[in-house]
Amino acid sequence: MDSFAQLIGGFETALSWWNLLYCLIGVTVGMLVGVLPGLGPATATALLIPLTFGMDPVSAIIMLAGVYYGGMYGGTITSVLINTPGEAASVITCLDGYPLAKQGRAGVALGVAAIGSFIGGTISIIGLAMIGPVLAEWALRFGPPEFFALMLFGLVMVVGLLGKSLIRGLIAAFLGLILSLVGRDPVSGTLRFTFGQPNLIEGFDIVTITMGLFGISEIMLGLENMYKTGKLPKVKGLLPRRDELKPTAKAIGRGTVLGFLSGLVPGTSSTIPALLSYSLERQLAKDKSRFGKGAIEGVAGPETANNAYCGSALIPLFTLGIPSSPTIAILLGAFIMHGLTPGPVLFRENPNFVWAIIASMFIGNLLLLILNLPLAGMWAKVATVPPRLLYPVILIISVLGAYSIGNSLWDVGVMLAFGVLGYFMKKLDIPMAPIVLTIVLSKLMETALVQSMTMFEGDLLQFFHRPISAALILLSLVVLVFSIIAEKKNKKSLLAEVEM
Amino acid sequence: MGKQNAGIWAGLILLAFSVFVFWQSFSLKYRTAFGPGPGMFPRWLSGILIVLSAIYIWQSARKEIYRVSDVLPKGKNLWDVASVVVAVILFMLLVNRTGFMVAGTAMLLIVLIRHFKWYAALAVAFVTSLILFLIFRQLLGIPLPVNAFGW
Repeated sequence: MDSFAQLIGGFETALSWWNLLYCLIGVTVGMLVGVLPGLGPATATALLIPLTFGMDPVSAIIMLAGVYYGGMYGGTITSVLINTPGEAASVITCLDGYPLAKQGRAGVALGVAAIGSFIGGTISIIGLAMIGPVLAEWALRFGPPEFFALMLFGLVMVVGLLGKSLIRGLIAAFLGLILSLVGRDPVSGTLRFTFGQPNLIEGFDIVTITMGLFGISEIMLGLENMYKTGKLPKVKGLLPRRDELKPTAKAIGRGTVLGFLSGLVPGTSSTIPALLSYSLERQLAKDKSRFGKGAIEGVAGPETANNAYCGSALIPLFTLGIPSSPTIAILLGAFIMHGLTPGPVLFRENPNFVWAIIASMFIGNLLLLILNLPLAGMWAKVATVPPRLLYPVILIISVLGAYSIGNSLWDVGVMLAFGVLGYFMKKLDIPMAPIVLTIVLSKLMETALVQSMTMFEGDLLQFFHRPISAALILLSLVVLVFSIIAEKKNKKSLLAEVEM
Repeated sequence: MGKQNAGIWAGLILLAFSVFVFWQSFSLKYRTAFGPGPGMFPRWLSGILIVLSAIYIWQSARKEIYRVSDVLPKGKNLWDVASVVVAVILFMLLVNRTGFMVAGTAMLLIVLIRHFKWYAALAVAFVTSLILFLIFRQLLGIPLPVNAFGW
């Protein structure tokens, strides 16, 4: 009941015309980056952060969160209409969405996807509103050992589940951890690896690094392999046939549950529930041969799942301060930049902020439904912007974004260097997600580890004397072993194809 | 050159980097009177990265082999990729001397010129820079570098 009253208060804040405008800007940018192949929500969120410096924290996070969940809606449109996923989670939608479009049923695929996304997204936000405060209250009992073990678990999940090879995932994670050593030591304040360079005292900026690793490298790859945009099919008739209503509704229901549960596990990505949902729908279908040829459940399930994931993936961020994907890691960076510390105390110390964000997500989902259903054709036209024009424009916006962080060319140079690094990492199949997550988590992890070791007087076995930290460390080991076995049996290829 | 193993080269660079960090970590205290010092985390992380780099080099030589020719862009693609780096460096060199409008237009021109006729590329570069200049400087109040004429 208390949560309900606070949610109402959140709606009051989120419905102010100013915050509504920022929510609309956020979801529209999200749609745009979802539609445009080669520009993901991680890059777009990072690009927008410098523009929020002067803004009120609530409005800033409302806008940035809008980019995050709006991206999931946009990616569907290009998957269905031109067989080009705008973002990673929509890869699965191509399988049945594009065949539906070829049969002249693009409108139905888009309509079902939008309705499923709305239902999945809204239910997961209700889940966030209900579970969030309870989990945060419970997490207040966590000490440094539990937090260290939790971050370790999240990291192992990212490394273990994503990427083609465990070693390459671990390399990316350790590279991120080492890069964030640069600057002031979080415990003693000692300067490390700064080499007398004043720009290095505060360390590398997460936004600059993300723009480089995701944005610049994507521009370089995009210019190297320019995609071709085909002719757009007509969009008409948004609802499925009467005989398709029941299986569609069931697929949406199952997708919601799968997506919501996946979001609760730190280290997963929106691709995982989409994949799980697709294979579940295929397993349950009476006629499996329809899949890949235009099965409506093949669109409804995965699209619902990836949007349900979006809401629940914010639960670990809001309650534990643990990001589960690069985009959420960047959101965490934005929280910190605006003087907020995500974690169990957030619900207690900044209830107005948290509930306004949650309320804005309800509103954002509704705005996205309105933006999607009647305007799908218009959004698809955006995807036909030629890449030879698109990438240079993204380049100059990235440069301006990096410059705005500290009004200095240093950040532009750092972004370029990380862009080149990201380009070669992608070419060598070294995953990008672990590096961004560890850069965000490194200082928190080090602090928690040093505090734990000080508490334990150097005895690391004490981690196993506390039930939560012991369970999480053991779980991490299980995931690592599972990952090694899966790699040996070559079972990771599906998830490895997409990682954002 | 193209047939050389890119994985081994990447592994060697990573190994050199981690050895450097490991060596540098000895200049930081491993322990203090209160507990672990600022050198503990770097030493362990770089030590583990040394081991990971060695395994990666071994894997690159035996399992999945990435040739340099697969990693580096070829032919006209090479310029497309290199143009991004060249354009940003040129922007960094120019912007404090010429102001944003000239540097931004030059940066975009370098990336656009191969894909459009020169006058179209110039027009797109100029108009895009102008719009962004107005948004960032006038609307968002970001102090972009300008020349004596104020642009």
